[in-house]
Amino acid sequence: MRSIKPIIASNSLAIVLTIVLLLPITAIVAYIITSPLDGLMAKFGTWLHESRDWEFSVFDTQERFAKIGFAIRSIFIAVGISFLYFGVSNWLNMGLARVSSKNSEGRQSTIVEAIQPWIFVGPALVLLFLFLLVPALSTLSLSFQEADGARTSRNYAFLWDPAALGYEQFRYAMRNSLMWLILVPTACISLGLLIAVLADSVKWGIIAKTLIFVPLAISFVGAAVIWRNIFAGGGIQPQEAINGVTPSYQIGLLKSLLGHTAAYNEPLYSLQFWGNFFLMWILVWVQTGFAMVIFSAALRGVPEDTIEAATIDGANPFQMFFRIKLPQIYSTVLVVWTTLVILVLKVFDIPYALSANDDDKLLLATMMENARNNWSVGGDNVDNLFAAIAVMLMLTVVPNMIFNAWRIRREQKDMGH
Amino acid sequence: MISRTLKHVVLALIVFIWVVPFVALVTTSLRSDVASKTSGFWTAFTPTELGHRFGTHDKGDDTAFLVMKGNIFERLNKDKDSYKVDGSIKSIMFKGRVPDPENEGKTKLIRKLVPVNEAMDVRGGEFIFQSNGDFVWTFEAETAPKPKNLDVFIDQDPVFGLDAYAEVLFANKNVPNALISSFIVTIPATIIPITIAAFAAYAFAWMSFPGRDWLFVIVVSLMVVPTQLAFLPVLQGFSGVASWATSLNAMLTDCESTQTCQVASKSFASLWVTHTAFGLPLAIYLLRNYIVGLPRELLESARIDGANHLQIFTRLIVPLSVPALASFSIFQFLWVWNDLIVALYIGPSDASDLVFPIRLQKQLGTFKDQLHLLNASAVISIIVPVIVFLSMQKYFIRGLLAGSVKGG
Repeated sequence: MRSIKPIIASNSLAIVLTIVLLLPITAIVAYIITSPLDGLMAKFGTWLHESRDWEFSVFDTQERFAKIGFAIRSIFIAVGISFLYFGVSNWLNMGLARVSSKNSEGRQSTIVEAIQPWIFVGPALVLLFLFLLVPALSTLSLSFQEADGARTSRNYAFLWDPAALGYEQFRYAMRNSLMWLILVPTACISLGLLIAVLADSVKWGIIAKTLIFVPLAISFVGAAVIWRNIFAGGGIQPQEAINGVTPSYQIGLLKSLLGHTAAYNEPLYSLQFWGNFFLMWILVWVQTGFAMVIFSAALRGVPEDTIEAATIDGANPFQMFFRIKLPQIYSTVLVVWTTLVILVLKVFDIPYALSANDDDKLLLATMMENARNNWSVGGDNVDNLFAAIAVMLMLTVVPNMIFNAWRIRREQKDMGH
Repeated sequence: MISRTLKHVVLALIVFIWVVPFVALVTTSLRSDVASKTSGFWTAFTPTELGHRFGTHDKGDDTAFLVMKGNIFERLNKDKDSYKVDGSIKSIMFKGRVPDPENEGKTKLIRKLVPVNEAMDVRGGEFIFQSNGDFVWTFEAETAPKPKNLDVFIDQDPVFGLDAYAEVLFANKNVPNALISSFIVTIPATIIPITIAAFAAYAFAWMSFPGRDWLFVIVVSLMVVPTQLAFLPVLQGFSGVASWATSLNAMLTDCESTQTCQVASKSFASLWVTHTAFGLPLAIYLLRNYIVGLPRELLESARIDGANHLQIFTRLIVPLSVPALASFSIFQFLWVWNDLIVALYIGPSDASDLVFPIRLQKQLGTFKDQLHLLNASAVISIIVPVIVFLSMQKYFIRGLLAGSVKGG
């Protein structure tokens, strides 16, 4: 009996080649063929514009509708291509197996089943390899290079050399990261626990939980805009005449409650040092819902009999919570804590949106962006510096990553039993 | 009893703190330009003293008169379609020269708030107004004075309108563009990873191939790699592909004549692929854990009936995994819709192709003094994810729990 391995190898090669050629060509052809759709949509928009008598310029309407046309076809093509891959590769796999071993059904299915797993996991592995694993390693190597490729440790000089670019910023970023890292998960977890306990014991708890949960759906930039209304400083004087008559118009609710006047007009999140806490609060506002939902489910999973036993023994509500319930959901608290820590380490949007260029509010992620945009004066190794800061960011995540991997391995083992 | 009341009070307080920012957002977006930048949102619900400026009569109207009668509110609202001012007049700011009591025969400049029913000198005439806005302007001889602009303080009734939404959606191009761009990015970047991840998850759960378990552990560990670490090389890769595509374009088409050969390295397509890759670890983890929990007998009986893996996957696994697929699609949808940083580094940089979070971040600067527009734009940007989220909350929570509590 002829060995089956060469057949598997040649079939795999044929499939890979077909896919590599077919998908890009199909995508390009599909784009060219469907391009008249943009024009059609623009015409439809013009017709709508004229029949509805819209006030703004007809050119804008055409542009918007052409873009909607582009949106429709690119969505269909992008999604279609990914379906096409699975359809074509599986069909090829079976067809080739049938051709290469006509007579034996058993051999056919052996060939099909040897290749099929790789068809299923292939795109995922290729994408993860090309977009996460290789880039991560290549960033690491970039961080030890000069712009011309020579080996150097100069990019990390901000760690020890006070004269180096980023020395001061790095210290601010580390100080702030540490504060974020301690305060945000702590606040989210304690508030989440408190709300979970309270909401489960009142009738309108479900409404309360939904309301606290909603911020989780909102972008961080959206949250920044939302909280700006609370933390902002003074508004614009409506007319010069009002100057001196009304003391100050405070737009921000909190500043107004604090009784701030025109003389004290910067937004709360711009305050030196203390501003950081207002930025942190925005993240707490967004993420508490996450902690709450998970704790709420975990608390409901605490076995009834332990609670009953404690009640019989005369435990008060506080003892019940701290001695009976909390120890039993301890592992859940730990998981939420790791998730929040990783999130906090990567936080970018909130400080970027509200205080992008303020060194006092820097975090590692915003420091990277600053390095890329504002430090180009420092030389041609901005990209390498960027890579070095990215590596520092990675280092802060590593302990968590190890913990996570360990947890998942343990779970896999538990599930095996 | 006390502790029950305390529970309600504490929870109500927390909910109140959580909800106030939403009230601020929506209220500000419904206010007029002037109101939103001159007073806090909490003043919008009660009569508030606000300053306005009105002209006594139209420019170029130079009919002579002895007595002119008019109404301040009519003057204020004459060009307004919405946010019409109403309420009661408190005072008018008088700026002018009056005889100086200290220096006989001289005058001095004063600023003073003149209340209702008190006469003041305006262009040599006597100006008296009532709290309902009626004013009488009397001259001793028939004159045709130039119009005078007066600053008036009004206890203004609450007034709301949709002007800010009309402006950002129709007069301003950026918001509709951002909305369309966000859909262009989000829909493929949700469907593609879920397709790829579902196939991979099935393979990791129920197919056997060399290195399966190790590959799975690697895939899952990638979940915590900060995406920032990948940006530079990915960007370099895309610009490599783009320059290659540019020269291919130059070779195959006559783009040189129109100068359109350049293929952008940062595009919607690069965002789709990048978001797909970044979303895969979590997707594979969640889906694999779900699929592995489906009854094994089902698979085995299907195999005995002669179904191959593709058939089992499409006819059996996909229909059974709808809850898990739904929970991941919400995650991915929300993550991509709300993403700022990937779009900033990898996404298209043309002003008309910016996704909503970037647009909103820019508007924090450009609409700094037009808070009603900023807030309206934010409402539009969050309405899509909030609707998706609330309508599929059940699946979202299920996904959260699968990812964190049980882990399997």
